[in-house]
Amino acid sequence: MRKVLGYWLPVLIGLVLPLLAAAQQTVKGRITDPAGNPLQGATIAVKGAKVSTQSDGNGDFSIVVPSGSNRLEISFVGYLTQTVSAKSGEISVQLKEDDTNLNEVVVTGLATTIKKSNAANSVARISAKELTGSTRPPTLDGAISGKIPGAQITANSGAPGGGVSIRLRGVSTVAGSSQPLFVIDGVIVNNDQFATGTGTRAFTGATSLDAGTQDQAPNRIADINPADIESVEVLKGPSASAIYGSRAGAGVIVITTKRGKSGNARITINQDAGITRASKFLGSSNWSEEKIETYGGAYNISEEDALDLFAAANGRTWDYEKMIWGNTGKINNTSLNISGGNDRTKYYIAGSYQNETGIQKKTGFTRKSFRINLDHKLNDRIDFKVSSNFINSYASRGFTGNDNRGVSLTYHLPYIPNFLDIARRPDGTYPTVPGRVQNPMEIIDRAQNIEKTNRFLNSGEMNVKLFSKGKSTLKLGLRGGVDFLVSEPTVYMPEDLQMMQESALRGAIRLTTNKSRYTYMQAGLNFNTTVGNNVELTTGLVFLRDDQRTDQSYIQGEGLLPAQRNPSIAQRVTTGNIINRSSVVAFDASQEFNWDDKVIGRVGLRADKSTLSGLNFDKYYYYPRAAVAVNLANFGLWESDIITQVKPRAAYGEASGFPSFDAVYSNLLGVNYGGELGSVSPILLGLGALDPERAQEIEFGLDLGFLQNRITLEATWYNKKVKDFLFPYTLAPGTGVSSIKLFPVGDLENKGIEIGLNAQIIKRSSLEWTSSLQYWNNRTEVTRLNIPPSYVANSGFGTYGRKRIVLGTSPTAWWGVDTSGNTISYKDFQPDFQMSWNNNIRFAKNFDFNMLWHASQGGYNASLTRLLKDEGGTTKDWSVIGKSGDPLGIERQGSEVTNFVFDASYIRLRELGLYYTVPAKILKSGLGKVVQNLRVGVSAQNLVTITDYYGYDPEVSNFNTGNAGGALTGGVDLAPFPLAKRYFFHLNIGL
Amino acid sequence: MLKLIYKYRVVLLSTVLLQMASCTKTDYVPNPNAPTQESVLRNATRQQISQLGVGVQSVLRDGVFSFRTWSGSIGREVVYFAQTESRYYRELQGEIPLDAAGIMYGWYSAFNQIRRRAEIMLQSASNTGSLSDAEKAAAKGFGKTVQAYAMLNCLNMMGNNGIRTSFSDLSTEGDLLKPGCFKNYTESLTYLKGLADEGLASLDQAGTADFPFPMVSGWGDLTSIASFKQFNRAVAARIAMYQQDWNGLETALNSSFMDLDGDLNAGPSFLYSNTIGDETNPIWRSLDNNSSPILVQADFVGDAEAGDDRVFGTSMAEGGTARVRQRATATAPPDYPLMTHEVQMDQNNISPIRFLRNEELILMYAEAKLQKDELAPAVTALDIIRTENGLAALAVAKPGILGNKNALIDELLHQRRYSLFMEGHRWFDMRRYNKLNTLPLDKPTHSVYEQFLVPRAEVDWDSVNPCQ
Repeated sequence: MRKVLGYWLPVLIGLVLPLLAAAQQTVKGRITDPAGNPLQGATIAVKGAKVSTQSDGNGDFSIVVPSGSNRLEISFVGYLTQTVSAKSGEISVQLKEDDTNLNEVVVTGLATTIKKSNAANSVARISAKELTGSTRPPTLDGAISGKIPGAQITANSGAPGGGVSIRLRGVSTVAGSSQPLFVIDGVIVNNDQFATGTGTRAFTGATSLDAGTQDQAPNRIADINPADIESVEVLKGPSASAIYGSRAGAGVIVITTKRGKSGNARITINQDAGITRASKFLGSSNWSEEKIETYGGAYNISEEDALDLFAAANGRTWDYEKMIWGNTGKINNTSLNISGGNDRTKYYIAGSYQNETGIQKKTGFTRKSFRINLDHKLNDRIDFKVSSNFINSYASRGFTGNDNRGVSLTYHLPYIPNFLDIARRPDGTYPTVPGRVQNPMEIIDRAQNIEKTNRFLNSGEMNVKLFSKGKSTLKLGLRGGVDFLVSEPTVYMPEDLQMMQESALRGAIRLTTNKSRYTYMQAGLNFNTTVGNNVELTTGLVFLRDDQRTDQSYIQGEGLLPAQRNPSIAQRVTTGNIINRSSVVAFDASQEFNWDDKVIGRVGLRADKSTLSGLNFDKYYYYPRAAVAVNLANFGLWESDIITQVKPRAAYGEASGFPSFDAVYSNLLGVNYGGELGSVSPILLGLGALDPERAQEIEFGLDLGFLQNRITLEATWYNKKVKDFLFPYTLAPGTGVSSIKLFPVGDLENKGIEIGLNAQIIKRSSLEWTSSLQYWNNRTEVTRLNIPPSYVANSGFGTYGRKRIVLGTSPTAWWGVDTSGNTISYKDFQPDFQMSWNNNIRFAKNFDFNMLWHASQGGYNASLTRLLKDEGGTTKDWSVIGKSGDPLGIERQGSEVTNFVFDASYIRLRELGLYYTVPAKILKSGLGKVVQNLRVGVSAQNLVTITDYYGYDPEVSNFNTGNAGGALTGGVDLAPFPLAKRYFFHLNIGL
Repeated sequence: MLKLIYKYRVVLLSTVLLQMASCTKTDYVPNPNAPTQESVLRNATRQQISQLGVGVQSVLRDGVFSFRTWSGSIGREVVYFAQTESRYYRELQGEIPLDAAGIMYGWYSAFNQIRRRAEIMLQSASNTGSLSDAEKAAAKGFGKTVQAYAMLNCLNMMGNNGIRTSFSDLSTEGDLLKPGCFKNYTESLTYLKGLADEGLASLDQAGTADFPFPMVSGWGDLTSIASFKQFNRAVAARIAMYQQDWNGLETALNSSFMDLDGDLNAGPSFLYSNTIGDETNPIWRSLDNNSSPILVQADFVGDAEAGDDRVFGTSMAEGGTARVRQRATATAPPDYPLMTHEVQMDQNNISPIRFLRNEELILMYAEAKLQKDELAPAVTALDIIRTENGLAALAVAKPGILGNKNALIDELLHQRRYSLFMEGHRWFDMRRYNKLNTLPLDKPTHSVYEQFLVPRAEVDWDSVNPCQ
């Protein structure tokens, strides 16, 4: 190190000397927060010169101001930037808290950021406070729900461990994954949903195959501890996400983790204790002799038997939902973090243990996470950042959702009339349920669906100031990272389950190993210069490469000995292995300019090549982008305290996606027939050279600020076109080929509006009320199509509502039949609009109250959940006589689509929190000097849901599994795991 | 000093550039998960042809469950009471309309896929230098025969909606985009006859060669080219029967493996096993199955003659001869009459499924003779069926119908109903004799379909790509 210093030091001195030679003055001062506490880490910069420093642990700073400069700009995240005149001697600056977030920094490039007040895009940024400050959803996907304007977020399952689908600004791809790209600390990470096998032939039989497309597995982003996150930025469409080129068609979620700040070591201990309870039950109808006669018995029970059983019950009934999901789950989150450092080295070390037991016996989610984030400044030229995270997580999710065998609890309860006692007997046996092959209580106790994950996330960054002279600097930035994870699902059903009596092979176990390794490397040069007094130019050149490889294998044994859990010695052994790998190499050039915060613009071009394009693996695809924002208020055209920001802005960008790795191959399938090895030609053909689908987005916006930005309005309109979207090209089945896996078939268009209104309604020392209201909508239309109207695979079931690609219609609309059997389009999965309303109220100085409401209006789901109950005669209103004169429960089984596609509008109180911060005075007198900070609170998640929707959760999407094909599969409600509410008590101690 | 600094910068920058050069290299990723189709279309090795041949034999099984169970449901042989999917009985029994885009078309894809896979096999065989001409002809003869067999099943399900009689020409780019038009039932039968005859001609051409692939044990005695021709003619006989070409039927039967004195069960079968990469018998159900039983339509038992081994006594599943078995508890979908019997024709989930039996050939022979007004040999053939199945000869049991052609045809249809139960015949038999309206309905809201609808995907395709 000394050597390096030895060489570079002279350069440094040479560069600094001219500055020293000029006339200059030293300014000292102290920065404090509104309460008068010293602020550490605030940036003090000399306006118009490249000189800056940071305040120390006492809030003190000292800076040398070159001649000709006389203004200091003092900034700190979360506070309003202030400009003060640089006089010699001591100055004291009290920063005001910024509730408008205009000074937050948002991403504009692979290595560049910009102040939000200068941004040309509408970038949703969620700070740590917004993410987990109110309540503590166990997984990240839960923590961002309702907080991203422009997003439609649905839950794949209510089971512990999460699992959601996020769609940003409508439909970005039809055949690919709807999920945006996840980037943590600058490195692309895995968010796959790995197959577990739960939904396969040997288990629930939801699919008759051995592949896991209906497993309802969690997303791997669930591994990330939300409490480690400093901010989440959402690049919603290509106009912002173009910087990630060929991987960014569906948007990008950029996560930054917490880092240390210089100063004394701070230890923070968080303890949450809570409970979780079912949010809603569907209820069941009572039976009578008349009903049994009308029904013709009960499901799969003859009238005679049903009457006998009903009489035997002697009026007693059983509430199966309560028996299964009436439990209270316990939540325990413990985390400890230590952060601190000096001006050279900063550290953030965090360990956490989260544990949640589900509302169903034997379900739960546990996560252990350990993180070290280190920042080190080698010298004035070179600094490093290292982030390292180890995660161990465990989820036990039970069996719910689609089923063809009698396993899924939610699928089979609807068929059991409530006069049967299905409870486990004291002797440990389970009564057979008349008409059913399996007692659900036995599944809960004896079948297993778990997943264990170990994951390492490591990333590092080095920034080198190659050159710095006057107003120009040239920096080299190197960044790299690895995300390595192994997840090991186990699904097990013992050989003596009731249903196994009908099976040729009794008992099944499947052990899966999913391995994923993502590596990322990036090298960039960044040249920054100021032309004239106030035009700042930044030129960036970036090269990057990312490689992704997943390797999924399983061994499944059917036909087990009692207690045997080794699949390799089962009667029938099945194994499988699938490898996916891809590499992207990209070059990116960008030019940004900022004229005195008045006009801010950027242009850029990214060139990507990707092995996912098959034979086109060496072909570069180009993704341009450009944006401009004009801060009219900074032109000095008017002096007003009323209108303080007027910023029209426009942005354009292109990005794309390759739906799946396998799309370029036509695979021969190996078979074993009559003892001979055979090969079978494919019915799905791959297009050997596949160009990516391309999303082009233009976005216009207007940001207004009033009363010194106490009120801000952000309005955005966008038009996102997806050109040549890829879709399975369904051929005439008579050809014997079912489809070309992916084929460019047409164009889509998404148009939408996002409006955000933020206001500090009351701002007094005794009472502060900040409120933010967001509104967003999106409409999608197929604008060009060169294939026949086509149903989207796995987007629903038959006439029960499916999505269809039809020219001039919305691809998220439901299709079914009307009363005369004609195919019609009926309603849309995408809501007419969504709104969220977030409130922070600080009262009596030490109390914080937070409340987040979220509403979705006019979105429709295709639900089979009611049909199951109607078929089983267990809907609460089954016997009510409908228009046709038949009971509703029979009438609603008609095939018309209105029987299955329901309005899923809702208003939900998503988060509610109340905290009390113990005043410093009391702490000092009571707890000596040990405890610096003490906060207690209570909170709740999903406390209230106002909806007419029939089902456990209107935000449902049971078919969103597997990575491909997820984009249009939203909104299918098929017997999901019931949604849970969570209640917490929080204790936060700072030492 | 400055020079030194610049040197370092140059070194640093060139290191970065060098590093970049190696990082930008990407290679084509060959499929790590499977070999590709391209590898066999041209210059396949003998081994690859052999594997494709086994593959075609393996896929010949595809669609057998839906073909037999759906046609059996519509032909009122059975009710498929899948507990988790009510459409299997509501739709098939005509309570709600057939969904042309729904779940009832597994057989349609399967049969068309068999046709294409056979085509890929025979074209790969002809596009390689590794086979002799005789072997190429053998592969073609096998492929064409298989195509005729599978597409006849498909055509019968489609009825007068027909099938596409040309599907693609694999040799040209974009061929998949130009499938031929749907042809009506009669035209389609002509096409199928052509396939069978072309198959026979190729097999003739192959002479005494061996098939360039192993013939699995399911073919029984039909593994040589000479004997496989007998299977080809059995398929041709079926086609002739539907064409009502009674002379052609008799001719074909005479070259088939029909044996009036032989085992009624003689003939090829599909094989199943629990081995990886293989399949299990899709029709097999455990005794007294409750999750997805194939129930026997109530009249099947009631209409049987007393003593019929095909109905009464021990089931085939339990080592007997009855195709059905009385359940411990009768069951039925809601509001249906209770059904006391279930289909039980297989002992376990790896039992083979016979797909063209001597018994059927004898019944076709009886029909040919009847239609040609040669009643005596027809009665002889029918008596073989009757006596083999535990019934008295017609002269004893039903002497009144001996000289009555129409009554004998009814007797023939009756024997076909019981002998070929759940083998994919009843619905088509009733249709070709215009007797669909005599089939029993379990609920007054039920109806009997004449044929399957043209699948929605085909209609959609033709709406955008008019066929030529």
